[in-house]
Amino acid sequence: MSLRSLIRSDVTHFWQTNLAVVAGVGVAVAVLAGALLVGASVRGSLRALAVERLGAVDMVVTSLNFVPEERADALIAAAPDRLSFGDALPLIAVEGFVTHQSSGRRASAVQVYGVDERFWQFHGVESSDLSLERNGVFVSPGLARELEAAADDALLVRVAMPSAVPISSLHGRKDDLGRTLRLTVQRVLVPEEQGEFSFRPQQGLARSVFVSLTRLQQEIEQEGRVNTFLLSEPSTAMVEGDQAERLAAAEDALREVATLDDIGLEVRDLPDRGVFSLEAAAGLVNDATADAVQSTAARLGLGVEPVMTYLANEIRHGDLVTPYSLVAGLDLELVTTRDPMTDADQEFIPVVLNQWAADDLAAAPGDDLELVYHLWEDEGRLVTRETTLRVIDVVPIEGAAADPALAPDYPGITEATDLVSWDPPFEFDLGLIRPKDEDYWDEYGTTPKVFLSLEAAQRLWASRWGALTSVRLRPEGDVVTEADRFRTELGVTIDPLAVGFVVYPARALALESSSGATDFGLYFIYFSFFLVVSALLLASLFFRLGVEQRLAQIGLLRATGYPPSAIWRLFTIEALVLATVGGLVGVAGAVGYAEFIMWGLRTWWVGAVGTTRLSLHVAPEWLLVGAGGGVAAAVGSITWTLRSLIPVPPRSLLAGVVPEVASPVTRAGISRATSISVACSLVGMMLVGVAAADLMSATAGFFGGGLLLLAAMLAGAWAWLHAASHRTTRDPWSVSQIGFRNATSRPGRSVLCIALIASATFIIVAVDAFHRAGGGDPLDPTSGTGGYTLLADTLLPIAHDLSTPAGRDALFLTDLYDPGEPLAGVNLSRFRVRPGEDASCLNLYQAKDPRILAPTDAFVAEARFSFASSLAETDAEVANPWLLLDRVFDDGAIPAIADATSLAYALHLKVGDDFLLNRDTDRPIRLRIVAALVDSIFQRELLIGETAFQRVFPDYDGYRFFLADAAPEQTGVVSAALEDRLADFGFDVVSASDRLASFHQVENTYLATFQTLGGLGLALGTLGLGAVLLRNVLERRRELALLRAVGYNAGHLSLMVVAENAFLLGAGLVAGTVCALVAIAPAWLERGGGLPILSLSVLLVSVVVVGFVASLAATLVAVRSPLLAALRTE
Amino acid sequence: MVGVNNVLEVKELSKHYPTPRGPLPILTDVSLVLHRGDSASIVGPSGSGKSTLLYILGALDPPTSGVVTLDGDNPFALAERELATFRNTRVGFVFQDHLLLPQCTVLENVLVPTLVTDTDPGATERARGLLEQVGLTERIDHRPAELSGGERQRVALARALIREPLLLLCDEPTGNLDQGSADAVSSLLFGLHKAQQTILVVVTHNELLADRCETRYRLNEQHLDTVRR
Repeated sequence: MSLRSLIRSDVTHFWQTNLAVVAGVGVAVAVLAGALLVGASVRGSLRALAVERLGAVDMVVTSLNFVPEERADALIAAAPDRLSFGDALPLIAVEGFVTHQSSGRRASAVQVYGVDERFWQFHGVESSDLSLERNGVFVSPGLARELEAAADDALLVRVAMPSAVPISSLHGRKDDLGRTLRLTVQRVLVPEEQGEFSFRPQQGLARSVFVSLTRLQQEIEQEGRVNTFLLSEPSTAMVEGDQAERLAAAEDALREVATLDDIGLEVRDLPDRGVFSLEAAAGLVNDATADAVQSTAARLGLGVEPVMTYLANEIRHGDLVTPYSLVAGLDLELVTTRDPMTDADQEFIPVVLNQWAADDLAAAPGDDLELVYHLWEDEGRLVTRETTLRVIDVVPIEGAAADPALAPDYPGITEATDLVSWDPPFEFDLGLIRPKDEDYWDEYGTTPKVFLSLEAAQRLWASRWGALTSVRLRPEGDVVTEADRFRTELGVTIDPLAVGFVVYPARALALESSSGATDFGLYFIYFSFFLVVSALLLASLFFRLGVEQRLAQIGLLRATGYPPSAIWRLFTIEALVLATVGGLVGVAGAVGYAEFIMWGLRTWWVGAVGTTRLSLHVAPEWLLVGAGGGVAAAVGSITWTLRSLIPVPPRSLLAGVVPEVASPVTRAGISRATSISVACSLVGMMLVGVAAADLMSATAGFFGGGLLLLAAMLAGAWAWLHAASHRTTRDPWSVSQIGFRNATSRPGRSVLCIALIASATFIIVAVDAFHRAGGGDPLDPTSGTGGYTLLADTLLPIAHDLSTPAGRDALFLTDLYDPGEPLAGVNLSRFRVRPGEDASCLNLYQAKDPRILAPTDAFVAEARFSFASSLAETDAEVANPWLLLDRVFDDGAIPAIADATSLAYALHLKVGDDFLLNRDTDRPIRLRIVAALVDSIFQRELLIGETAFQRVFPDYDGYRFFLADAAPEQTGVVSAALEDRLADFGFDVVSASDRLASFHQVENTYLATFQTLGGLGLALGTLGLGAVLLRNVLERRRELALLRAVGYNAGHLSLMVVAENAFLLGAGLVAGTVCALVAIAPAWLERGGGLPILSLSVLLVSVVVVGFVASLAATLVAVRSPLLAALRTE
Repeated sequence: MVGVNNVLEVKELSKHYPTPRGPLPILTDVSLVLHRGDSASIVGPSGSGKSTLLYILGALDPPTSGVVTLDGDNPFALAERELATFRNTRVGFVFQDHLLLPQCTVLENVLVPTLVTDTDPGATERARGLLEQVGLTERIDHRPAELSGGERQRVALARALIREPLLLLCDEPTGNLDQGSADAVSSLLFGLHKAQQTILVVVTHNELLADRCETRYRLNEQHLDTVRR
């Protein structure tokens, strides 16, 4: 016989009670470890999904310009051997808009990949069925399902037509920006065939089409060119460097192989002129490139002659007009010896005319001319300006004045054989063209007719795209040789990664992002918190009940000389054994619980995750952590129940007198508990009040205040129950009062039951009140939709201002704005867009590169939407926090506004924090959060000011996001009209309320999950209540038998049990409900004060029903216990 | 076991219990002296405090006032650990409800008091010997549920004597037994008492058992009177 054998016999002999303890611990461990497994599973699933969709891709090189396919081989050759890439694949990756021709179903934001057989070879997929026909298309499973497309169906795939010329420049095309390919579905790819390919992590269905690379290149006029290269990992034997080293090596390789042509620059040799000229495909040389040219020229000792050439609509001299003439801004000393008279105070611009122009205008030196020209304003308007010129000289068309190369390539103009064939992207009056103009064009082409100073030209025509159309460089030696040297030198000076190339470590970022924006493990621990607490309380309760059954034994051990420490050690070891067994059971249960949760996330709660691709990943380390935590908590809570036994005298233990009776709480103890209750109430109410006054977050106020109020109520209940146990009554008793009095005989147990019910009720009631119903008032400008009823994204940017007649006219919308027509009275707010990742809770992956929007000044001025917090300082900013987008920070940070929900739960930022874009590059962009929107439709993106947007994202031109405030009853008609007329732009309209509701779905799903698990906690709580009632009845068998012996019938006994149950259940429900409602008052008042009375009532009634059912067993035992046997029992 | 003076001495012992209505006196100025080998019975009406006095003598309940010494030691002056050792080595207690551990065998129940000592060589031998003396050798591996009331009380008696205590206290040892079993247990009790020369104190309603003790006390209205010596 040893202590070990005593413990073993204790554990096995009292197996029934111990089984309940083991079950309680098992549930707690299962829930805790299961929650951790859920987190690991979500992360594992996201990681697996991202890796599956990447295929063989390690890094991705993208370019804003299309570059020759051969760059792929050059990249591999340029990389150092030890860090070589396995393979490099050229392809086209663009965004598209797809229409299922027969049904008209449409899908926007579709990934269009232009590929050939090399794509599948790259990924190691072998299949003879993967040969794309010229007119064929492969479709991803997700897109096929969305469009209900099958093999042989016809799809219209519309993509943007690449153009180096910005659409917001005069010569940028503003219409016909896309190309539509009519294709036949060859097959729907399966994931094993890279049907889900995506190099940006996303958990939703991959929506993509695969078209013939050659066909796509021809359609968008980029034969032999691509905009993307996929780089695979090298073989393991070759890998030496870590990811950062390989990324740096890839960037260095890119720098080595990229040519000036790849970054949209060209050096044209003009040996006849003794110069070579640097020009940009965009038509204008931007300031950064101009600086690089200057510095390179200085290093090489080259003369620099910058040029700014522009197309003027008219040159007028009185009634004489010369139409559509090129005007060149340069160093006037190149064309004249006359004094330019460049006085800044002059109201005229000194110019030199060529002879032809002078003759045509009958102009001579000293005459004033009017120059009329178009300007394209960034807001989307074509304006016409005039300025006065003064002729200072007339020169013959020879030498520097006879240089057609001074003009850049104007799309639609330069290549024209005659003037009437011109096709500029602006209004062109053919009626102005005279035969002599055609003669000039035939003889002199793009030779400028007017020359002015560079400074004057830049004052008139410089834009954010640049202030030069070319830079001429004059070498001392051979032009061709020096031009080659310059090309090489400039290629080193300009970093291609700064002008449109990006090397994207796709695999590394995907793995990093798959840790998730939302820590599901932590969330499910929160959700399961009360379930865990309930299980632990139950385990403790059953252990305590078991110990109380053995009080006499404990007394015997004390009487035979066991010191308290030995008793403590005995039961602690027993608790440890039971908890460990429970932990092992719980580990098995954890897998089941986690699988249940994952199944729930794929089905009921799919709204929270947006994918059905989540599966269980069993991570032993998390099982261990959960089991360890659960077992430790169980041992702690179980042994906590033993502490009250220690001071009980052995005599009382021998008599089986429980501690509460043996050592009754004194009046001082009751007073102390009352004081604690009052203190907790005051502090709790204070927290609620502080949250209501917006001095602390509503969440902190809710949890802190609510829990303190709950603690106050429980302490008060404890004090009241102990005080009640001393009370007597002189009034005639009722049977139900006996039941109530029974609840006061064991205050500890009663408070435990009340605590179980109250805490679960607290969670369920509070969570239900937080449910967001609907998508907000669509017409309220301060609501989450800002008073807008519709929002739209476009595939192709719209440069025209739809609020002007000219803009509407250009887009053929004018008639729709007539009175009675769909768009009459509808305002469209527009936003610039830099595409990126979804920053809302709908995206499970961490958004490293979120979508950026930039509103116009007109939108900002309207001060729509509501803000949760901001850095507003002035009265104007407080009244309209949108104005913070114009704030200037000394450190260069760009002000940004985001939705409060996205900030808190997806980006994990708050107002005042910074978000770093391009953080892995040497050109990071620091965005500073200056304001947070309340529950808005902008949860997917960050918003910055338009000026800042144009500065940091110059390549994203035009407007691609729109908000419309159509009347609710007109939204259908307005949507149809806009989508029809603007179909070429891929205009895709959705309801603003629906968008907001989709965000609410995530939050409501989380709340539903919380409620479900809280409900399970409540179920455990009622189970505990039932167990306590049953135990109480069993302990009072002799009393109940006596009552029956003196004439109480079954109904009386049932009433007693029910009364006791009703007291405990009611106290728990009231405490939990009252505390929840008081604590969430700040939050639900903020939402308008409405409570979901019906659903709350249903919930509470359900709890009451379940609670009473739980007492059924106790009632049956009370009624059916054998009378004589109970009377005779010792 | 030879102690210092082998005497149980009680001087002016009083005991009252606190109640919401004020202290409830149970014992007042109780005094007695017993030597090794003495046997004493305590009789009195129900609720007179007999068991209370017994529990105080067994150091299971402290007196409100007065002194109890056994073998020169006042157990209530000892620290908790020493008090436990005192109970373990100096006192054997037989309860009316035997209080056997249902999950342990007969032999294990007898050995329960020996588990808290560092070493007690021969404990198992002594246990077997005691069980043989109480006539339960054949039931050594049985559990209490398999024994009759008398047999359980015999096991309890063996358990009380396993540590060869100086003081043997019995609280209604035959209270739950029929006459035959009671007689058997009584005989065993006194036989073992004589063999081990304990100081035996018995609280009982059983006149025959009370008569077998050399000294008879009566508790009446909180006072202990000597009826026969």
